[in-house]
This record gives sequence, C-alpha cells and structure tokens, in this order.
Amino acid sequence: MNTLSVGVQSKDIVFDECPSAGYEMMKNAGFSCCDFSLNSYLSNTSLYSLSVNEFFSQSVEALQRFFGPHKEAAEHAGICINQIHMPYPSYVPGASAEINDYLARTVAPKSMEICAFLGCPYIVVHGFKLAKELGSEAAEWERTEQFLESLAPMAKELGITICVENIYTNIGNRIVEGPCCDVGKAVERIDRMNEKYGAEVLGFCFDTGHANLIGIDFEDFITTLGSRLKVLHIHDNDGIGDLHQVPFTFTRNRENASSTDWEGFIKGLQNIHFNKVLSFETAPVLSAFPKEMKQDVLRFIAQIGNYFAEKI
Amino acid sequence: MQTKNHEWIRDEKHGREISGIHKSLSTTGIFDLNHPQKYIKYAADAGFGRMMLDLGMFYSEYDLENYGNDCTITNEKKAHEHFDLFIGQARSCAISFDAVRVPHLRWDTKRTDLNDLLVRIGGEAISVCKEICCPYIIIQPLFSGIAGCDRWKKNFDFYKKLGNLARQNNVCILLENQCDNVNGHLVRGMCADGSMSVRLIDALNHEFGSELFGFCLDTKACTLCGQDMGELAVKSDKRLKAVFLRECEGINESDSLPRIGCGNIKWLKLIRGLRSIEYNGIMVIDSGDFLRSFSHLLRPQFYPLIKSVIDFFCWQIEMVQQLKKFPDKVLFGAGNMCQSYMEHYGQTDPPLFICDNNEKLWGTKVCGVDVKSPEALRKLPKDCGIVICNIFYEEITEQLKSMRIISPIMYFNDELL
Repeated sequence: MNTLSVGVQSKDIVFDECPSAGYEMMKNAGFSCCDFSLNSYLSNTSLYSLSVNEFFSQSVEALQRFFGPHKEAAEHAGICINQIHMPYPSYVPGASAEINDYLARTVAPKSMEICAFLGCPYIVVHGFKLAKELGSEAAEWERTEQFLESLAPMAKELGITICVENIYTNIGNRIVEGPCCDVGKAVERIDRMNEKYGAEVLGFCFDTGHANLIGIDFEDFITTLGSRLKVLHIHDNDGIGDLHQVPFTFTRNRENASSTDWEGFIKGLQNIHFNKVLSFETAPVLSAFPKEMKQDVLRFIAQIGNYFAEKI
Repeated sequence: MQTKNHEWIRDEKHGREISGIHKSLSTTGIFDLNHPQKYIKYAADAGFGRMMLDLGMFYSEYDLENYGNDCTITNEKKAHEHFDLFIGQARSCAISFDAVRVPHLRWDTKRTDLNDLLVRIGGEAISVCKEICCPYIIIQPLFSGIAGCDRWKKNFDFYKKLGNLARQNNVCILLENQCDNVNGHLVRGMCADGSMSVRLIDALNHEFGSELFGFCLDTKACTLCGQDMGELAVKSDKRLKAVFLRECEGINESDSLPRIGCGNIKWLKLIRGLRSIEYNGIMVIDSGDFLRSFSHLLRPQFYPLIKSVIDFFCWQIEMVQQLKKFPDKVLFGAGNMCQSYMEHYGQTDPPLFICDNNEKLWGTKVCGVDVKSPEALRKLPKDCGIVICNIFYEEITEQLKSMRIISPIMYFNDELL
C-alpha cells in the first residue's frame, strides 16, 4: 500500500487575492500536499539587500486573519499544508543588529505561530552562513544552534518540528557546500537537541537540488538521516546552478541519461521506509513555461511524484 | 622571480628554512619522457628537492582503459625504459621522492574488469617505493563495477591484500578521496566522506596493528564536488599524510596552479583546517595542465612561480605553529596587521612589546601593549622572536640586519586568517 503523498510549493500557484484557485489547481494537478512558501512574504533577495518589509510586524492575530483564507481554501480543496518555509536567511552577515534582531525575535517566532495556525507540523529553516566570518563550520553551527534553541521551546509547545536544510554557499560563480551538508554532524546535532527537549523539535529537510550541486551521495545521506528526515525539497539542476527544475531534466553526456542520481534518491528513501510527503520545490519551472501551460506542467510534476512514490 | 621572494619563513640566525611540511612537485610537471632531465633541472633549480612520482606518466589512465586491447598507447617495455631513465636522471639532480601515486582508472571508466589488475599494479608500485626509498604510496580505492553498499568491504579486502607487502617494504599506503561519475556529473565518490575514510583507515590500521594506512586529500576531487577541504582535513586529522594541491574550475577535471588570494574562501578553508590540525605531512603541488598549456619555451619560467605558490601555502599553514616556537616574541609594526595579530593571537601568544619606526607611537599602547623604538630590540631575551607585522618584510629585515640584531625573524601575515 502506498503511504506516500505528493506535494508542491505554493509559490506562483497560490495567490493572496484568491487562494482557493491555487489550491484547486494543485488538487486538479494531482497533489494532495502543499509546501507553503512563507518566505515569499519576506524574500531573500530583499534581505540580502538589507531591505526589510513590515509584513511580520503585524500582530499574530492580524497574521492569522491574513492567512485564514489560505487555511480555509486549502482545507476546502483537500490540500494538506504539510511543510512551510521560514523566510531566509535568518541572519544576514553585515546587516545591522536591528535587522538581525528583527529576524530572530520577530520573523522566526511569528513564522512558528503561522505554521501552527495552518496546522502544519514542519517548518524549514536555513542554517546561518557564517563559516568565513567565524573561522569554522563548528563556530557557524554554534550560532545556528543558538537560534534554534531560541525557537525550540516554542516548537515543543506547538508540536512543530523545525527542519534544517542542506544548503550551499558561493565562491565566486561556483557553488560549494554550506551549512548542514555533513550528514554525520547533522544526525548528532539533531539527536542531541531532541534529547535535550524530550521532543522532536529538530529534524531535517533534504534538498535534492542542493545536494546535487555539491555532489552529495543521495543514498548514503538519506540512509544515514533515517527517521530524522521529515521533509523534502525535490528539484533538479545541471550540477552548476540552483535551477529548481523538474527531475530527470538534465544530462551531461552523449548517452543522455540523467546526470542527477535519482536512483540513489529512491534507494535512500526505500532504505529508511520514508512515508511522508514527496514535496517538489519547483516554482521556477512555472515561470519557465508559458502561463497557459501551468496546469499541465503541475500535472507532469505530480506524475513524477507518483512515479517516485511507486518506486519507493 | 627570484628565490628570495619566497623566503617568508627563515631562521635568520641559522639561515635555513624552518618549514616542517615536505614540499613536493608532482612529476606530471615533467615532460618529454625521452629527455626528462631538462625539466627535472628546471624543478630542482626552482628549489624543489622532492617530488611525488606519479606512475600515471608511464602508464596512463588511457592505457588502463584500453588494457588488453590492441590500441594501447604505451607498451610495457618502453614504460620501464622511461621509468629507469627518469629515476636515474632525478637522482643525478639529487631529487628524492616523498610519495608514489599509482596508475588509476578514469572516473568515467567503462572497465569493470580490472580490479584484479589494480591489485597487481598496487603490489608492483610498492616495490617501486622500496627501490626509490619512498615512504608513502597513494593507492586509489576501487570503485568500478562495485555497488555503493559493497564498496567499503571490497576496499577493505583490497587494501588488506596490499597491506602485508607494504609492511614488508616499510611503506605507508595512503587512500585518496575520489569522485564518482553519474552520467557525466562528477559527485562525491569513495573516501570523499571524511567519516567513511577515517573508519576504513582505522579499521585497516587496527587489522595490521600499526599505522600502515593514512589519507591523501586531493583538492581537485574536493573542488569538483564543492566540498569543504578544511573540514575534510580536520576529520582526517593525524591520518592525513599528504595533500595533493591543484586547482580546477569545479566542473571539469584539470590540474592547474592554485590561485590563492585573500578572496578565495576555498583555499582559506583548507589553510584553516590544516592549521588547526598542525599539519606537517607532504604537500604535493600538481600543475601539469597549467604547464602543458604553455609553449615548452615558456615553461621554465613557471617552475619558480609554482615553488612560490607552494611556499606561500606552507607559510600560511605553519604560521601559527611557527609563532609557538618562540617562547617570547615582539611585534614589529603597530598598524592594522599588528591589530589583526592581537585580535587572533593576543591571548595565546602575547608579545612582550611592539616596536615601530614611527616615533610618534613610542610610549603609546596598541591593544594594551607598549609600543617602543626599534632600539629596544637590542635588549631582547635569548631566543625571543621578532614577528614582522607589516608588508615591508624585506625592508624591515634589512633594517634589523643593519642593526646587527641576531634574533630569529618571522613574517606574520593576516591575509588568510
């Protein structure tokens, strides 16, 4: 019996003006779950340009009123919001203390409140990118851990698991490994924190595209994570840029076989008996195709999800 | 470039380099196997007294790929003749060998039938080590035709077969991180994960009851996989015996000259990692593709540059270790670099005082330390080091010499802290 569900991120599908149309579109395409793109309300591009909007300055009640129609529309369409993405970065190197304080003390806890309001069990966060400034990955994690610790009691109380994601950083034009790319360390850190709080306050989000960019062994990484793997960001790229495209898109030799290790991905999920949501983070696909094809493209993505589900 | 330009660390008292890392040039930088002496001499003249013998120059990955076919490029007899000629001419230039690197399969190999041959080649290469008095041999793990889940066990057996021979010949086998080829995309392969390679090395050493196995970190394989080389170095810790230093663009394979600059985080991370484990093994620089891309008439000019690059790396890595060698030290220069020193090492290695040529600063304090005239250096305790914290290294060294100050001098640099 298939226990896996298939989901997709809400960005470029669900809009505030009429959320129900987006959730219906998801449902019609064959999805049953949604990765709610909370990060759209405070984008990374604006944060990196040190521009912070006032969206999260609203009271929790006002934010709940704002997201109420989303909750209702998703429920009505039969879509489960199973994961949300917290705005990122949660710390901007070089930004003022005021901005970073706002991200840590306002944006992050309010994101948790919204997550709980939407009935969502998982929220994805990015670790701090500070290895260069602080001199080591260990020192970088220490800062991330302080941030996670500030949210952990709230996560426990609200029944939410915060999921750290494998992310990358850049050296010039080349992408290299960033926070949470060492699976051994991730496992140890997740276990340590969960033991401390006596609850699953911390889990992992495996991002296939980011892993592909830095040549991570999918099967080994996923197998080592085991039950700590709570959510997925499924997407593909050429191994060079973070393109967020449809799996099986890219090839690099004359045989034209996929240059991303989807077989390893399937094996890894098989090994750990993964039974959660196969969630696609493929919003850029929607902007690449003509608007008129959106429903067809979504249907195709959902079919790929169903293929994975069958194989797993 | 003059040799003196890369004498960053010098014990002025004894007039010799005090570096602990063994600096080697990969023999991929030696061309023309029928007449190698010219290139060996270029390397020796640039200051390379040691080399890593890459046996792939005599029997390449292309030969291996075509093993048993009629289209093999190299015949064995010719390979042996080239080898004998090369070793003889290297000896005549007083070159010694730090490591031997065994011929290996291409990462995109189609051959899944050569693993037994690789055991044989490994064994023969260990004999080469004995012949040329070389303490380390780099033998890449097996991967072709072996499923991911079987690789650890197959490689344990592979190295176990070679271990006895290595022990008899007093040679340490180094495992090297590899890439895998996923339909043209190079990803992390066998031994790329530090935890896994450490586990394999420790299991092998436990099996043999001695440190017969270690690790060689290939920076190219790391770069192709966007891997943090510093983290890999830290995980490998004392098992790390060799670092294979070469630049590549990160997408396709190449062996170029590392472009080390203050903005290059990749190398910064490696240097930080090696500093933190107080690395003192072998540093092999491989610039074969870089040299090959120039006319043979221009190549001689680049050997001193290659030597300067490896000297720079080693200087940066060993800077902290060198600081610790002086029981007492004073800093020369009270500017920004001095403040960097105080920020990073002021607590662990505080100076007795700071001196500066600017008389306006005499009697003041920088980071809580007294600033004095250079004249104060005449009364330094025995073995007190003078750490120059100023980019005018040579000028200040000359000034100290003219003052007849005989204390050891060290150049500090904050570009890659």
